[in-house]
Amino acid sequence: MKKTIQITVNGKSYSRDADTRQVLADFLRDELRLTGTHIGCGTGSCGACTVVLDGRTVKSCCILAADVDGQEITTIEGISTGAQQLHPIQEAFVEFQGLQCGYCTPGMVLSAMQLLKENPNPSEDEIRHGISGNLCRCTGYHFIVKSIQEAAKRLQASK
Amino acid sequence: MKYIGTGMTSLTNRQLAAGKGTFVADYKPEGMLHMAVLRSPYASARIRSIDTKAAEQMPGVVYVITGQEVAANMNPIFEAYDTAAMGAKGVKWYALVPERVRFVGECVAAVVAEDKWTARAAADAIEVDYEELQPVTDPEKAMEPGAPLVEPEWGDNILVTRDFRSGDPDKAFAEADGTISGVVKQHRYTGAAIEPRAYLANYDPYQDLLTFHASTQNPHPMRVFLAETLGIPETSIRVIQPHVGGGFGLKIPTFQEEPLLAYLARKLQRPIRFVAERTEDLLAGGHAREERLYYEVAYKKDGTVTGLRAKVIADVGAPSALCGWGQSFVTSYCIPTCYKIPNNRVQLFSVVTNKCPWNAYRGYGKEAASFMMDRIMDNVARETGLDRAEVRLRNYIQPHEFPYSQVSGAMLDSGDYPKALRKVLDMIDYENFPAMQAAARKEGRYLGIGIGQELTPEGCSMPRSTLLGGWDGCTVRVNPSGQVTILTGVTSPGSGNETAIAQIVADELGVSIDHIKVIQGDTDTCPYGLGNYSSRSIIMGGSAAKVAANELREKMLKVASKLLEVAPDDVDAEDDKFFLKGAPTRFVTFKEVASTVYRDCHGKAAFDVEPGLEATRYFKHPNVYHQPDTQGRFSSYPSWPNQAVAIIVEVDPETGKFKIVRYCAVHDSGVVINPLLAEANLHGGFVQGIGGAAFEHLVYDESGQLLTTTFMDYTCPTAVDVPSFEVAHQETPSPFTPLGTKGVGESGVTGPLGGLCSAIENALADRNVRLTELPLTPSRVWEAISAAQGGNR
Repeated sequence: MKKTIQITVNGKSYSRDADTRQVLADFLRDELRLTGTHIGCGTGSCGACTVVLDGRTVKSCCILAADVDGQEITTIEGISTGAQQLHPIQEAFVEFQGLQCGYCTPGMVLSAMQLLKENPNPSEDEIRHGISGNLCRCTGYHFIVKSIQEAAKRLQASK
Repeated sequence: MKYIGTGMTSLTNRQLAAGKGTFVADYKPEGMLHMAVLRSPYASARIRSIDTKAAEQMPGVVYVITGQEVAANMNPIFEAYDTAAMGAKGVKWYALVPERVRFVGECVAAVVAEDKWTARAAADAIEVDYEELQPVTDPEKAMEPGAPLVEPEWGDNILVTRDFRSGDPDKAFAEADGTISGVVKQHRYTGAAIEPRAYLANYDPYQDLLTFHASTQNPHPMRVFLAETLGIPETSIRVIQPHVGGGFGLKIPTFQEEPLLAYLARKLQRPIRFVAERTEDLLAGGHAREERLYYEVAYKKDGTVTGLRAKVIADVGAPSALCGWGQSFVTSYCIPTCYKIPNNRVQLFSVVTNKCPWNAYRGYGKEAASFMMDRIMDNVARETGLDRAEVRLRNYIQPHEFPYSQVSGAMLDSGDYPKALRKVLDMIDYENFPAMQAAARKEGRYLGIGIGQELTPEGCSMPRSTLLGGWDGCTVRVNPSGQVTILTGVTSPGSGNETAIAQIVADELGVSIDHIKVIQGDTDTCPYGLGNYSSRSIIMGGSAAKVAANELREKMLKVASKLLEVAPDDVDAEDDKFFLKGAPTRFVTFKEVASTVYRDCHGKAAFDVEPGLEATRYFKHPNVYHQPDTQGRFSSYPSWPNQAVAIIVEVDPETGKFKIVRYCAVHDSGVVINPLLAEANLHGGFVQGIGGAAFEHLVYDESGQLLTTTFMDYTCPTAVDVPSFEVAHQETPSPFTPLGTKGVGESGVTGPLGGLCSAIENALADRNVRLTELPLTPSRVWEAISAAQGGNR
């Protein structure tokens, strides 16, 4: 069964027929071809599919596309404007090696973005809690935490 | 500038941080179909019949396949090891099981359909009539006479045994001041890369070419395995590895789904994709680690260990074509790791059970050997009253004693274990810890310090193996405009070896790294190579790149010297220039020399060199011995990185929960090409080690049902569960590789096993707590406290 939904993704409006079985992550990936949103577990445990939905981070593998009609979504593709114009958080991940394979990275970056929006000057402990919904198997989190600390500093300085 | 030794960030960071990487599941070619697999719900059962009618009649279903068709049209899956050459038993494992299932999750049937929901629903609509059989799920029960047989034609459940001997253990035990016996148990866990296994197969009948996109670590070996299993030419297959979302060994072929998908794509002549669900990967994506190590040691009162008897019992799960069972062999091969014990007997029993087959997982059995030796050293310290570090120092192989042959025939290349341990003890201020511990105790806090000692042999090379070889290839090409293309036989699962290889080539050619592009993971463009495992990408791939780049360097120096009108020996290369040594203002640019070779090959400067600037070279590691000695032993690991860690924990004795307060490590992987990426790799290893030591557990019930089938039950550590890390490198160069590299990728996972046990026991020393079994969950620690107090809590 299909349901027509109107959504805004990364500032662009879409009207599409979504299969009622389709989770938001698959809708973004397969229908809109925004493949930066990754799927790692399908149970909302790993956070690779994290997107921002109406101002809060959600695990898009656990939400049906048909249920987000009328809502606004930001994916990893929506926070930078080109290869040399990454978001300051992405730049910090690039410069401080806050990633390895890059599979968890989009979700991790969006969780970090939301954290810094709510808490612009977090402690290491607060950073660790802020990304505790996102699993990473490559980095041991060490350089991710460092990247977010650096991003926080830069974002504060640019205010 | 020089690049080797510089901590550059990875060349792939920008693309991946932008979310613009391409993983297999991102491909969606026109007309793509989806494959779903029906898996065995039983640990052991005979298939009486399969009814596929209901599935076939569902709208959107394109094809339904069972094991009967597979067995009639495909070979058994080609084995990663030459089992006969390894003295092990082999197995005929088909892409779908035709008759008898041997673990929950084994592939029984599959559906290809227009969308993934239909494929799934149709697979679930296949009716299989099973005759349930008695499974065996405990390795020691599996060794008993009369146990149910996983492979009835074997006659027992033993896949392979080993029995290594040196010196005279009986005499050592008779003459000892003391002996200790015990067991260490490591549970079943796995790598759990965040990207599940994923493949896309597409067949072009006009070219007779199957293009197979795979989240794999080994494109060339995978092509061999697919070709042999399907019975088609290797040249009719192209394997492409796009970005891989973590491998850790688990993405080494061959899983049932791989040849199955390849077969179906050829048959149906449409692109078909298979992306595993997390549950499927936890059920059937390869397990590792489950081993029990029984030991007896003989020691003198000065702490020197004079004799060791060890018996390794490994539960490798159901036999398969995967290379995982080799981990049990490697555990026995590594004992007694860094230590100089003159009298040994090491036995291995690699046992099959009705559980998921092992596949490779970072550590590859080495971790269990070091874990056992750590427990032994701590116990000897306790019995002799000596310090734990002192006991290790008194038993280490000394730096001047290399190459050192261990009881298994392992030939340890080099190392300085005492220096690394002393350095890490300084880092953590080991000397002053007792005062810190006493002060904390006054506040009611239980701090403890522990030592973990890793020995992580790398560059695995097994006799007659398609997959595991001590060599690799690299092509370096200088283009007419002076840019450099590197094509490697090794691949990267995200660990950054492409960056380190570019650094090696940049230094060799004296060219800026901005002018280099690295291409990996494509059997049609890259030189033949074995891909990524056993930390081999820099040992083998980096060495091959060095040798290939050197060939071009010599050629370009010759041309440059003609252009400069000096002797070749007087010319050096750096910063995109060839210059006169001692007079760097006399130079020709790198680009000019490249241009001369291509555009002026009949001119004066390039007249006596062969046209073109491309070299493909292979590196073969010299420290491998495949000719068996009189005991039948061979040496399969050429490179021996090591690491000493020191960990401080705080334990809550009321709950058994602990927190890591400090984690220090001194790592020695020989010459480090890129210290930043080496450290990044280590951090990942630490957390996978901590995860294994305390968080992750694949739990089976007695009937062989896996109880941990999602990330809600199989709990990987999050950022709040682990500390920041303090890492220092020590460089004891390999005497055998052109750059002195030893490999770093697998290191880090071992230290937490013994190190955390050691630290927790130290925190609770006055309660006399003994830890012998992982994972160190709060309940296990609490039970150990309770047991030490006579179980009266």
